[in-house]
Amino acid sequence: MRGKKRVVTSGGPPDIEQPAFDSPSTAVDLSVDLGRGLVLANPILVAAGAFGYGVEYENAVDLNGLGAICSKGTTLKARIGNRPPRVAETPGGMLNSIGLQNPGVAAVIDKYADTWVGWRVPVIVNIAGESVSDYAQVARRLDGVPGVAGIELNLSCPNVDRGGLQFALDAGAAGEVTAAVRRATDLPLLVKVSPNVADVRPIARAIADAGADALTAINTLSGMAVSPFRDRPMLGTVYGGLSGPAIKPVALRVVYEVAQVVSIPVVAIGGVTELADVLDFLAVGAVAVQVGTAVFADPTLPVRLVEELAAECGRRGLSSHRPLIGTALPAKRGAPSTMGVEYRP
Amino acid sequence: MRPAVAELVERREILPGQWIQAFHAPWLATGSRAGQYVHVRTGDFSGLVLRRPFPLNTADVATGIVSIHVRVIGSGTEWFTRLRPGDGIEMFGPLGRPFEVDPRSRHLLLIAGGLGIAGVRMLADEAVRDGRQVTLLFGAASAREVYPSSLLPDEVEYVVATDDGSLGHHGSVTELVPEYEAWADQAFACGPSPMLAELARLAEGRRGRMGVAKLGRKRGGGKTDPAGSPGARRKAFLQVSMEQTMGCAVAACLGCVVMTTGGTPQRVCREGPVFAAEEIAWEAGW
Repeated sequence: MRGKKRVVTSGGPPDIEQPAFDSPSTAVDLSVDLGRGLVLANPILVAAGAFGYGVEYENAVDLNGLGAICSKGTTLKARIGNRPPRVAETPGGMLNSIGLQNPGVAAVIDKYADTWVGWRVPVIVNIAGESVSDYAQVARRLDGVPGVAGIELNLSCPNVDRGGLQFALDAGAAGEVTAAVRRATDLPLLVKVSPNVADVRPIARAIADAGADALTAINTLSGMAVSPFRDRPMLGTVYGGLSGPAIKPVALRVVYEVAQVVSIPVVAIGGVTELADVLDFLAVGAVAVQVGTAVFADPTLPVRLVEELAAECGRRGLSSHRPLIGTALPAKRGAPSTMGVEYRP
Repeated sequence: MRPAVAELVERREILPGQWIQAFHAPWLATGSRAGQYVHVRTGDFSGLVLRRPFPLNTADVATGIVSIHVRVIGSGTEWFTRLRPGDGIEMFGPLGRPFEVDPRSRHLLLIAGGLGIAGVRMLADEAVRDGRQVTLLFGAASAREVYPSSLLPDEVEYVVATDDGSLGHHGSVTELVPEYEAWADQAFACGPSPMLAELARLAEGRRGRMGVAKLGRKRGGGKTDPAGSPGARRKAFLQVSMEQTMGCAVAACLGCVVMTTGGTPQRVCREGPVFAAEEIAWEAGW
């Protein structure tokens, strides 16, 4: 069924027989099909915002060992971003309010697409906008650009046409923008859901129904910090998005919930710092995971996670990581989750 | 440039809550210049998710030893003080752009506010090595926070200002600057942002006041160096080392920006931490 798209993690040419003792991991198939032809060599992606446009880490990391790179959030026009401080460390995590500083989609294509073409790792361009038409226009610009393997929608932007309510917080708006981008491009489309809602499931359903190929869960949690002298908020814009190990339980809950209500693949993100986190997210139904904040402390972590996951599969005698997916989901898929109520803000 | 492990060889508390830690890291000692920094990972990875940037305080090529100056302000810096000789920590660097000294400059004025000493300390070594005269103006809240003169090269003239007058000049370190304006060929500063902004204001128009002629075509007098280039900084009278909370330190996350007069935010980790004072939009409120 998936035969012709199979990608094996082993780098060597196929005609060379690998000795059995070489490494238990070389035979493990870690490939992930996110739909619409986007097949990743492995399920470890680097998250939008943590990895720039990939080129920043070219000298520090073996990029081709990654499943995919999600680019920095890109908008139609250049944005200078928020006033600093933009970053604050918090217990087990960090807040950021970069404000989508980026040179604009045209400049991004101009500067980076040629480089991306030369990479084996697919680059998924993360996009944001302030109106449905912003998103659609950015998607249209990216459509057919060599080097762009897919699009990921960041819906945590205020929708100026709807009084500034974030797209991610409303099922109607999330579905509308997803559908508009779907019409604008044939590129594989991931949509990132926000945890800052009472119930994420109707939003996830709306996004899936509008034609998204995969869901990414979760975006950052809204939060704030106070300066050391307690004379002002820590961040220049008061609020920031919380990421890192601190949010992993929330991410697990959201992945667990959305994986049961949509049939498209779910890519998990939130506090992945070690193999155990990857296995946890797979268990609650994710087909792949993104690594974000942890990249700052250890840029080589994602590539190492790929190796560790392959080794883990080998140890368990698995030829693929697929049997690890969804093992912690309720036996009867789609059963209403008992969780959620007590987590409502 | 990949992170490598540096071994702590010596540590001492030079002031209450402030430590100098020396690490054996030959690759840093040989390859780094004053103004550059290292990005260091704490051992408590799940609790403290970010690395910490530290300017290189000293670097000794012969022994391969570099030192950093740590002030305890939170759990991350506190973790560093618990390191014992023999412990290894992961250091990434050297990173960032260094101070650029004009080869013709004979008199260097260094201005440090508090922990800002860590940013300019290594430049004193480099300047003395290159046979330049160095005056270091140091400002602190009180005498008990004044950097020990014993840790500076003997050749450095050391002038102290304290806010409470308990040592040296009673007042801000910036008040000492006009006296040295004529003497100094170039100035280099690191410290709190208001101090740097005041220094930038003082430096403005110096060329006119001092009657420094702009000489014809000699030394590329006709060509202008693009803003942010080493050439532009080398020609600047005042260079500042900026501080901003940092995420990735490889120019990817855009967390550590400062606003420049060009209207585009520049990353402290990559375009900085050293900037020409006139590059920074001090009044922008960033």
